[in-house]
Amino acid sequence: MRIAGRAGGYAALLVAIAVLPLFLGTFRTTQLTYVGAFAIALIGLNILTGHAGQISLGHGAFMALGAYTTAILSVNHGVNDLLTIPLGGIVAGLAGFLFGFPALRLAGVYLALATFGLAIVVPSLAKRFDEFTGGTAGILLDLPTSPIGGLTPERWLYYLTWAIAAVLFLCAILFLRGKTGRALRAIRENELAAVSSGVSLARYKTLAFGVSAFYAGIAGSIYAILSFIVNPGAFPIDLSILLLVGLVIGGVGSMLGVLGGAAFVEFVPLEAGNVPAKVIDALQRVGLPVSDLDPTTAGVPSVVYGIILLLVIALAPQGVAGLARRLGAATRRFYSRLIPTNKPGTPSRREA
Amino acid sequence: MKKLVVLAAALTAVLAVALPGALAGPAANPGLTATSIKIGTTMPLSGAASLYAPIATGMRVYFSHINARRAAGDRKRGVYGRQIVFKVEDDAYNPVQTAQQTRKLVEQDKVFALVGGLGTEQQLAVRQYLNQKKVPQIYVSTGASTWGRDHKTYPWTIGWQTDYVSEGIAYGNYVRANLPNAKVAVLYQNDDYGKDYLYGFRSRAGRFIVATETYEAGTTSVSSQVARLRASGADTFLILAIPTPTIGALVTAYRLGWKPNLLVNSVSATDTFLGLAQASAGSADAVNGIVTTAYLKDVASPRYANDAQVKFYKTLMARYAPSANVNNGLYFYGMAKAADFVQALYRAGKAPTRASLMRAVENLTYKSPWLLPGAQIITKPSSAFPIRFQRLTRFNNGSFTEFGSLQRIR
Repeated sequence: MRIAGRAGGYAALLVAIAVLPLFLGTFRTTQLTYVGAFAIALIGLNILTGHAGQISLGHGAFMALGAYTTAILSVNHGVNDLLTIPLGGIVAGLAGFLFGFPALRLAGVYLALATFGLAIVVPSLAKRFDEFTGGTAGILLDLPTSPIGGLTPERWLYYLTWAIAAVLFLCAILFLRGKTGRALRAIRENELAAVSSGVSLARYKTLAFGVSAFYAGIAGSIYAILSFIVNPGAFPIDLSILLLVGLVIGGVGSMLGVLGGAAFVEFVPLEAGNVPAKVIDALQRVGLPVSDLDPTTAGVPSVVYGIILLLVIALAPQGVAGLARRLGAATRRFYSRLIPTNKPGTPSRREA
Repeated sequence: MKKLVVLAAALTAVLAVALPGALAGPAANPGLTATSIKIGTTMPLSGAASLYAPIATGMRVYFSHINARRAAGDRKRGVYGRQIVFKVEDDAYNPVQTAQQTRKLVEQDKVFALVGGLGTEQQLAVRQYLNQKKVPQIYVSTGASTWGRDHKTYPWTIGWQTDYVSEGIAYGNYVRANLPNAKVAVLYQNDDYGKDYLYGFRSRAGRFIVATETYEAGTTSVSSQVARLRASGADTFLILAIPTPTIGALVTAYRLGWKPNLLVNSVSATDTFLGLAQASAGSADAVNGIVTTAYLKDVASPRYANDAQVKFYKTLMARYAPSANVNNGLYFYGMAKAADFVQALYRAGKAPTRASLMRAVENLTYKSPWLLPGAQIITKPSSAFPIRFQRLTRFNNGSFTEFGSLQRIR
């Protein structure tokens, strides 16, 4: 029953994802495609941070590597941009694997700082090697087109991205399920204990970095195709921080929480600027004497973003996944009160 | 599992919120009704470049005025009775966010046109997209020469201010005429913006350059570059940089005891930014004597205190943005740009289309009261550089004084 329920839930989710664009305009469809790309990056970050316990403040840099791979290959060498997506993943994955070696010597805050350095260095490198990367101006990609007649470019990219996300999600679950997952979690809980139980730190940490960066690279490639521009300004430090924040918001360690986290990464920075006007409008509508705030004031979006972040942390300290668990538990209590004969905690009701 | 169901429910909720927008059919003239016209822009309201946010405020203030006043001709509020709805989206100076916000404005909000979007890379990122969709991208807030130069390739895109190449030429001419023995050291941003300026300067005064140094966009400290430039023995310092590095360069030069002739590009030579440099150096000597160019009236200068347009500007600011610092010229810049847009919108006719607006913008020629005395807007489809008059101006003890003649460029 439990497995059937889980499969049913996934099926419902897949159906929801599949039909959503039919009801959405082109812009919202594109936004949900960005959510898919961020979800891929967060699945990867979750492997590294959620399971192996290694904090990365540099995943924006791995996304940049994937994005530049796609841009350089498709614009300068005429490679089909679809083919560049796995290549973007491989380039970033290799970089992540190599970065895993120096990272072996670092832990906790020091590792966070080192990865933070990565986030600073990669955009600067892109400026330095401007014959390949186009320098500060970057590379403009062609506008996306759909290879399938009758499918709009927006929907094509949407389905492509979510199909990739679904496959990579499955891969991540398989990757984390067996011996590897156990080894990573052992490292997270206590490195010394893990080593004394025969877990090779070098092997698993570099593996976790490599796989995680591979995911970020794939996400970066899609990000480039979606945005039709790649330049150093597209990968600010904020992006790396935002990804980690998204993971925390989604719920560290939860594979499904990444969807909530990815939605946060996409929607909050873009919509934050519009929140005050809507709040003031609503307050004025109910008759409160609130004065107008100039929506063009600098800094307003950042303040709203901060408030939203604090609210989420306060109300859902375990992230979206934790919130979903609590909601689920509350629903179960509600049902068990409705039907007293059913003992609380029996699975039969839950999966109904 | 329950959380999956919750997620599916959340997705359905998103769907429900988005449905109404999706069902609205395509309009013949997006953003246009009998009583309103919706336009949009992208600006850095957050992040390092948010110093430029006052431009959006200046535009908003002017549109509020147009919406409230009765026009001299038809006695109607707005433009031909249409209220201007102005949507400003924050792009944090990140071109990917510019791309997203621009698509939101076009596809979701269905704006009629994009007016005054800020940043060279940012506006380049969406130029191809907007031209493919045939959405006007007008009066972008950047002085790159590509906007006017490549208008034929991208007919839905046009710039506004004097371009960086022409400004560089003005500094070159100044050095040739006034500093015939100058040894010039140049600090410039290592991208199209800095190179545009340098290209213009070189074309007139290349032989005067004895040293050049670059910095990467996003860098805050330029101390080592300034030290090397000083060591070159130069007696003239040309700064082609955005505000933060410019302030750093001026302060460093002062602290090193280097007292060259100073030439600073106009995007950073404003009262506000030079005031910051003076405060940071602790002495007016760090900024006195700076030569730059101007194309708009200077709101902070006593010379323009009684100018009708500057007074009008201050009245509008007091009415619609009372807490703003009116001496910040960026508000004036935004307002002047909004005024040109309103002029073009009137000329696009009582039933404007995106194409008729573009034709009006491409042919807009009038004596704008926001420009320097004697200057005017001259736009032609074959020469799409709306503002083409500039004058040299010198900063001394907190205010600018224009000198030399009004120069026509291009």
